[in-house]
Amino acid sequence: MKLRQSIYFTALILAFGLAVSCSDDDNGTMSYMDDDMMSDDMMDDDMSVDFTGTFMQVDHLGRPGINTTLSVDMEGEASIKDAHNTTIPSEMVATFQTGFQARLEQYHDVYALKLGLDPADVNYENNILGLDAATLTTVLAADVLEVAPDVPTTYFNPGTDFDNDGRILVPDGDEVALTGRHPNDDIIDVSLILFFGGMEGTRFSGQDLDDDGMADLPRLTSDGVAVTADISAMFPYLGAPE
Amino acid sequence: MKKTRNYLLAVSSLVIGALVFVSADHIDAPSSAGTTADIADFYAFEPTEGSDNTVFVVDLQSNVLPDLAYGTFDEDVLTEINIDLDGDLVEDQVIQAIVKDGRMYFFGPVAPTQAGLSSQVYTDAALGDVEISDSSAIVETTSSGVSLFAGPRQDPFFFDFFQFNAVISPELDSAPGGFLPPEEAADTFDGANTMSIVVEIPNSMLGTPTATNALGLSVYKTWVTTNRKQ
Repeated sequence: MKLRQSIYFTALILAFGLAVSCSDDDNGTMSYMDDDMMSDDMMDDDMSVDFTGTFMQVDHLGRPGINTTLSVDMEGEASIKDAHNTTIPSEMVATFQTGFQARLEQYHDVYALKLGLDPADVNYENNILGLDAATLTTVLAADVLEVAPDVPTTYFNPGTDFDNDGRILVPDGDEVALTGRHPNDDIIDVSLILFFGGMEGTRFSGQDLDDDGMADLPRLTSDGVAVTADISAMFPYLGAPE
Repeated sequence: MKKTRNYLLAVSSLVIGALVFVSADHIDAPSSAGTTADIADFYAFEPTEGSDNTVFVVDLQSNVLPDLAYGTFDEDVLTEINIDLDGDLVEDQVIQAIVKDGRMYFFGPVAPTQAGLSSQVYTDAALGDVEISDSSAIVETTSSGVSLFAGPRQDPFFFDFFQFNAVISPELDSAPGGFLPPEEAADTFDGANTMSIVVEIPNSMLGTPTATNALGLSVYKTWVTTNRKQ
């Protein structure tokens, strides 16, 4: 009985403390209680936690791999990668799209030279989404991850053909894609396909053109690896640390 | 010939900057790389088909290479999950996470009083808190159906990162065949760990999006930021 009264009294104090604290949120301090505040360790669970202060943005991520692969830092100049991390998404297209498009072409130039071809002849070709270089880099420059609340999550599954019309690679209005990112999604291969795959997604995929058993075109549309970490179907979904 | 060489030099000087550490966002930029505020990765997904929840996973400080140890959460770093509902690329809701004395405190979803690069903790919008896990997961589920987790986990990112660096190298004899076939390729992140923050939240708490993706499907437009105390 005495214990229960003590708990009740303490709970009252705690509740009052919470109300006082939250009524003045300008100072960023809060008195915090757990759901199990009536348990024996209630005194331990209550604390006045100081969250005051101003926090300034230092890093940003929306879609994986975009800043890292399409921003270019030049020696002696301010870092574009740093600038990208401290730019709000609504200003990203105006700030970064031109550089991203130039970078996409440079990647193609690198392989033109490796193949002994004129870089002017090997250029980005519209991809499986039908996007030209300017449109693709405009989409990617706004670095946000789209996630759909009510359709299955897939970053992009090139094998998806929901209406069985045989059009697997080219979206024709019925595919589900760009609806989020699951840890199993092979976002590197998707990015490579969008950059180097052309209309069919297979433009540079290690083809053996003369049937001599040797690849004549480089393999640029897949890095060849699949997920190796443990992914669970249960929260928190990621495997215990190794 | 000379022209080609000059061109190659020009391309090489442009490409060289990205040769060092490249991955999903792991160590993506000089100022944040290797710090406690470095975002490694971000996932947003429907946990099971037909679920009314959305899961957000933020991975901080990936070690990139498995032989490096992961760190700890920094009390001066505020992590924010930003959610744009109407497609104007300005956050309409934020979920905040910040560690204090071994517990991760979550706030929101709340409409920010100020969008942009400067933040304060929305202490009047407490969502819940959870003890920082060690190797076994400690999970809190709030009365509103929100699940919370913070602690070290396997880094699920997979990428043959060394071969990628060879592929984008302008050296003519560097990976002329591109990436390796699956039997030869290696996931650089196999065995790597990261510091993860995971929130599973009912969509009803986020709101109904009017934004659409490139295929016309209704989507939340989301991004994560880390913010350092001044």
